[in-house]
Amino acid sequence: MSVEFAGFPFLTAILFSCLAALLVILFIPDERKMLVKWVSLVFSGITLLLCLCVYAAYDRNLGGLQFVEKILWVESMGIYYFNAVDGFSLPMLLLTGIVLFTGVLTMWELETRVKEFFALTFLLVAGVFGVFMAMDLFFLFVWYDVSLFPMYPLIAIWGSTRKEYGAMKLTLYLLAGSALILPGILYLYVKAGLNTFDITALMRPGVFTPFQQKFAFLLFYLGFGILAGVWPFHTWSPVGHVAAPTAVSMIHAGVLMKLGAFGVLRVGIFLCPEGWRYWAELMALLATCGIVYGAFVGLAQTDLKYVIGYSSVSHMGIVGLGLATVTVDGMNGAVFQMFAHGVMTALLFSSVGYIYDRTHTKMIPELGGLSKIMPVASGYFIVAALAGIGVPCLASFWAELLVFIASFKVYPVRGAFAICALVVSALFMLRVVQRTFYGEKNERFAHLQDVSFRLGLPRMILVSVIVLFGLYPSLMLDVVQTAAVPLINGLPR
Amino acid sequence: MTWVLFIPELYCLLMAIAFFGLSMAARPNPRRDYLVALFLTLVGVVVALASVRLEGTLFFEAYRVDLFSQVFKFLLAAGLFLVVCLCTELSGIEERHHPEFYLFLTTCTLGMMLLVSSVELLTIYIALELSSYSLYILVPLRRGHGSDVEAGIKYLMVGAAASALMLFGLSYLFGVTHTTYVAEIIRLLPGVIHTPAAILGLLLTLCGFFFKLAVFPFHFWAPDVYQGAANQVTAYIATASKVAAVAILMRMVALSGGTSVYLVNVLVTLSICSMTLGNLVAIVQKDMKRLLAYSSISHAGYVLIGILSMTQTGYASAIFYALAYLIMNLSCFLVVVKVAEDGGDLKIAQLAGLHRRSPLLAMVLMLAVFGLAGIPPTIGFTGKFLVFAAAVEKGYLGLVILAMVNATISLYYYILVVKAAYLLEPDEEPARLVVTTPTKVLTVVLVTVMVVMGVYPHHLLEVARAAARALLL
Repeated sequence: MSVEFAGFPFLTAILFSCLAALLVILFIPDERKMLVKWVSLVFSGITLLLCLCVYAAYDRNLGGLQFVEKILWVESMGIYYFNAVDGFSLPMLLLTGIVLFTGVLTMWELETRVKEFFALTFLLVAGVFGVFMAMDLFFLFVWYDVSLFPMYPLIAIWGSTRKEYGAMKLTLYLLAGSALILPGILYLYVKAGLNTFDITALMRPGVFTPFQQKFAFLLFYLGFGILAGVWPFHTWSPVGHVAAPTAVSMIHAGVLMKLGAFGVLRVGIFLCPEGWRYWAELMALLATCGIVYGAFVGLAQTDLKYVIGYSSVSHMGIVGLGLATVTVDGMNGAVFQMFAHGVMTALLFSSVGYIYDRTHTKMIPELGGLSKIMPVASGYFIVAALAGIGVPCLASFWAELLVFIASFKVYPVRGAFAICALVVSALFMLRVVQRTFYGEKNERFAHLQDVSFRLGLPRMILVSVIVLFGLYPSLMLDVVQTAAVPLINGLPR
Repeated sequence: MTWVLFIPELYCLLMAIAFFGLSMAARPNPRRDYLVALFLTLVGVVVALASVRLEGTLFFEAYRVDLFSQVFKFLLAAGLFLVVCLCTELSGIEERHHPEFYLFLTTCTLGMMLLVSSVELLTIYIALELSSYSLYILVPLRRGHGSDVEAGIKYLMVGAAASALMLFGLSYLFGVTHTTYVAEIIRLLPGVIHTPAAILGLLLTLCGFFFKLAVFPFHFWAPDVYQGAANQVTAYIATASKVAAVAILMRMVALSGGTSVYLVNVLVTLSICSMTLGNLVAIVQKDMKRLLAYSSISHAGYVLIGILSMTQTGYASAIFYALAYLIMNLSCFLVVVKVAEDGGDLKIAQLAGLHRRSPLLAMVLMLAVFGLAGIPPTIGFTGKFLVFAAAVEKGYLGLVILAMVNATISLYYYILVVKAAYLLEPDEEPARLVVTTPTKVLTVVLVTVMVVMGVYPHHLLEVARAAARALLL
């Protein structure tokens, strides 16, 4: 059995802390709700700390795969328990850690079936972490599915607005995606003939013929693309976001959708670079459609959560456009956008969640003038909305800038359309802000309390992350760069 | 001492005699019957496990004991034991019939054990009939229902028709090869496999096993029999009986030597039809056992994918899948038996509020159902993964994509079951289910096996591979 460990197995520890949380929570009696929450908080705190450690300890000069943990798992099939991080997965780990921690804090007021909620959340997050760190196709797929199926109970039990419909639609769509991914993985496994699921072994040049790459890439792009909200397979996403409870929306829009984009990157682009270049035109087209479509449909929504849902489609389109440029800038921008959008959407859903819990409505016309009643709670939403528009000094500005520069060079027309759509989305975000938070004060809500410090804590963390990475983008870009540059340079001419 | 090779079967026979003795007792005593059955079948598992490494032939070479047959005998013994574990409250069957119930379960297991070792056509036929006839009696044994008799007759009719087709096919095989020994046929048949008589003979022979496995178009009995029979009997039919069918189907398909495109095409068609039909019809079911019946039809399709690959990896994956299926289905039936305490049928709606009535049962149901849908990290996913990998290796990518689409469809009705258990609120609050300690232990064991074997299939896969190697020797 070949074992490769570089010091303390941080990555396994991250997974383990999620699974340990799950087990511990399962053994707490139903009535001890506060205990469940504290246990969740402690474990998510540990997880976040571990993520921060990994992020800080990653050697940016060295680049490549670090924190490698590799054990031969199933000999006859060539399956390895193989975890590692590179410049692409590192920001995602950090994002997941942040969103998990703030998500747990956001759900502090939950009263119904608390134990099951947090147990399922930790299962979901373990799957997400697993995907981001797996370098073995078998494990990647296992974790991928593990992160999907808890969504059904999470939305259907604790959700709102057409929750059962939303939950079923989401689950079926996403698992239909894995119906394409698994055959794709098996196809590559068989065609390589190396009897291994190790991504590093399969990504060597010359393992697959151009035709095989084109075919497999299409399977992966469609399969993972569904989760990434690629137009026209995005329809599950606004419905799902709206139906889901706050923390699940945060994790879902903030992290799970990134899982799709990351899957395209890690499996599709790493293993089938030829296919990537071949289908880049299509990717750019669909991404642009998504950006424009999301912006315009978002304009017509009256439900706050639908607005965020469609803006997510639009923003994930920017990620897709970045990936489609096949340039270093585009890759940097796409990964940065994945991170920035994750934090920003988490903040949006978190603020809407607070407002909804108090006012019991998320319809924009009914709200009105909220900033006079809850200035702080409104402030969080407004910051996130500004980040969504791409205002400088906030994280997503840099991401969108990079993607648009790159895409304008490669696809001038589509790039121009995307930038125009950005103006539209700015318009609709500002309109939402104006209608919801300014204007006539609605007396119905005058008695409501503003967000307290304790409850506002998760939003504060998210805001500070957005501002931090907006002011020091190199904190993130230096890391992403270590993976993007070798990837692009390694492409066959 | 060649008789040592025959020990698991002999033990089964002794068990049957013991139950026969019990059935003559003057006064029914269900508790005693249950404990005796539990003990005897547990010893049966140990005996089967102890004889796993045996190898040899018996009865003028008509009976082969190898790793393949012994692994399946172990699975059958384990299946029997687990089904008996579910019989604490055997309320679906009249008390004075309990010893007979155990007796026929045992003879049926005996028949299947004989079946997986037989390598001669007539022996195969006789073993198959022994197991079938036991089931024909078990199905209508249910207390106070009319539907059980209907189910019993239906089962008998379809079974008899399948038997007739099979006998007809056997006669063709004999006509083409002039032998009834499987070893000889394996040598001779690939030479003549392109003649219509050989193909027809083999296909008709397979009909007998398609019936057992409920493959389209021999699936008609499954829903009615599943629903009509007592819950424990259904559990047995759905698990042990299916495992034996997989085993013998593999042995017969291996006869062709893997060269006949025609045979493969037929199997591909049957597999697709089974999967699609089973999954689509399952969507509208309201009764849990009927739903499981249609799901078993679709699972027969998945297993066929592994078998029709006709490679060693394909057979190994099918063996793995059979085991996975046994465990997942038993877990489902555990819940059915426990929730339908009066031994009646279980509507899916009756699962409402299960997560409060018994969190443990709700959890095992969720895991088992997601396993059946092929969601990791359960053994069901790993089984599907292996089967599909074997099929893609042979170039059947389209078939695998179809199967994955089917798995997605099936997810819909599996989720409905989970939804019933976790989401729906019952109209009136039913009492908390009393789950006894042995049941708890059984549940925890099943959950552990489902997850651990799903995540770390290494050792099990090695056994399956070795068994598949023994099959192809």
